[in-house]
Amino acid sequence: MKEELFISGRDIPNIDPYLNIWHWEIPVYLFLGGLAAGIMFFAGYFTIMRKEKEMQATVKYAPMLVPFALVLGLIALFLDLKHQLYFWRLYTTIRLESPMSWGAWTLMFVTPLSMAWAASYMKEVFPKWDWKFKFIDQIINFIIEYRKAMAWALMILAVILGVYTGILLSAFNARPLWNTSILGVLFLVSGMSTGLATIIWMSKSKYERKVLSRIDLIFIAVELFLIIHMLMGFLAASEVQIEAAQLFLGGEFTVVFWVFVIILGLIFPAILEILELRGFHIPIWIPSLLILIGGLVFRFVMVEAGQITRYLY
Amino acid sequence: MDKKIDAKKRPVYINPYFGGLLLGLLILASFYIAGRGLSASGSAKLAVVEVVHLVAPEHAENNAYYSKFLPEDGSSPLFNWLIFGAIGTFFGGMLSGAVYGRLGKLRIEKSPKISNRTRLIAAGAGGILFGIGSQFGRGCSSGAALSGTSAFSFGGLIVMALMFGVGYLFAYFFRKLWI
Repeated sequence: MKEELFISGRDIPNIDPYLNIWHWEIPVYLFLGGLAAGIMFFAGYFTIMRKEKEMQATVKYAPMLVPFALVLGLIALFLDLKHQLYFWRLYTTIRLESPMSWGAWTLMFVTPLSMAWAASYMKEVFPKWDWKFKFIDQIINFIIEYRKAMAWALMILAVILGVYTGILLSAFNARPLWNTSILGVLFLVSGMSTGLATIIWMSKSKYERKVLSRIDLIFIAVELFLIIHMLMGFLAASEVQIEAAQLFLGGEFTVVFWVFVIILGLIFPAILEILELRGFHIPIWIPSLLILIGGLVFRFVMVEAGQITRYLY
Repeated sequence: MDKKIDAKKRPVYINPYFGGLLLGLLILASFYIAGRGLSASGSAKLAVVEVVHLVAPEHAENNAYYSKFLPEDGSSPLFNWLIFGAIGTFFGGMLSGAVYGRLGKLRIEKSPKISNRTRLIAAGAGGILFGIGSQFGRGCSSGAALSGTSAFSFGGLIVMALMFGVGYLFAYFFRKLWI
């Protein structure tokens, strides 16, 4: 028997055979970005539907968190950069084919917009608030006049931001677990659900919680549907995709994924929300906290597992 | 289901004999699914092992007691069915509490005649004794009494008889904590 030795030359530290470049910063950012998108979307939606009075937490209180979530997320993104001083170069170009470009520009618009939105409600949320300078008051009055237009912008940008958190991963065609078009919608839906959980936690109105819980249940159902179809799609594809799905179906991420994401992060909080809608007494922070933890774990698992999957052997 | 169950009213529990039957079936299911019985003190023990291993890895690995519970492949001792059983027990209990109206505000359940402080100190002291005892007895009321007796373990039977027997005897001296 004649043996041949192959040396592939494919040994690039941290890139090949396994990607090992994205750590906690990316999933944390994806989580905060999705959460912010969820809150902004519903703040915009219920403003356009003229429900500001009934949905106070959605329109006024929860959006106060958005600038903080976005800034913290951006700090995490910044920490992840290798050449941090060159981040501004993202803003010297617009590339429609690059999700990073989309994300960078969306964040550029959405962050100040979310701040303006929160600022316009400062006096309603904190009655003793004083802007100190008259020109700020004038700017705020100007913003308040254009709230409806802002609501539309918030909603549209929130959807782009939410989808982008998923597309950022799915644009990596060299990683089979990420390279699926379901990821964009899945991350959007999951972000909406975490946003809703946050608003429900903050809301003091029974009516508001009821409306939001119902929407959240739909989102949880859609999310489960998308996850199942993502796995089914992998299993029906080529060997590398099947192996990617196996990470969740018996492989090393099985327990974390099924226990903390599917059961404790989606199904169990959904049961609690259904019970609450039926009149049982449920401390509202429990399902909300579970959904938030589930969403965070989901992003950690997807980022971590995706880096392990690969095409070439 | 009665929608008007109020947490402020007397909480609702199921019939204890029926509860016992369900518990027996649960052990059967646990043997069938996990291949092992239940344990409550085991998850606390593994949590202790994990913390000791985090703080002083060498000490944990050289210690005859802790090293027994450290997985050989270097994974965390918390990656164990007992821990997931404990997580499930927590959320299952919460669900049952929600359905039967026992889930209210966070509160300390105690006799009205003692203070919260007394209750917490007594519970802490009792818990410590129970932890030590369960390790001498190689299992607590779940591990030795329930799972042990269901596997016809004589040791489990002795643990159960003594645990509850001694409990009856000592209850007299500590009755003021409850009545």
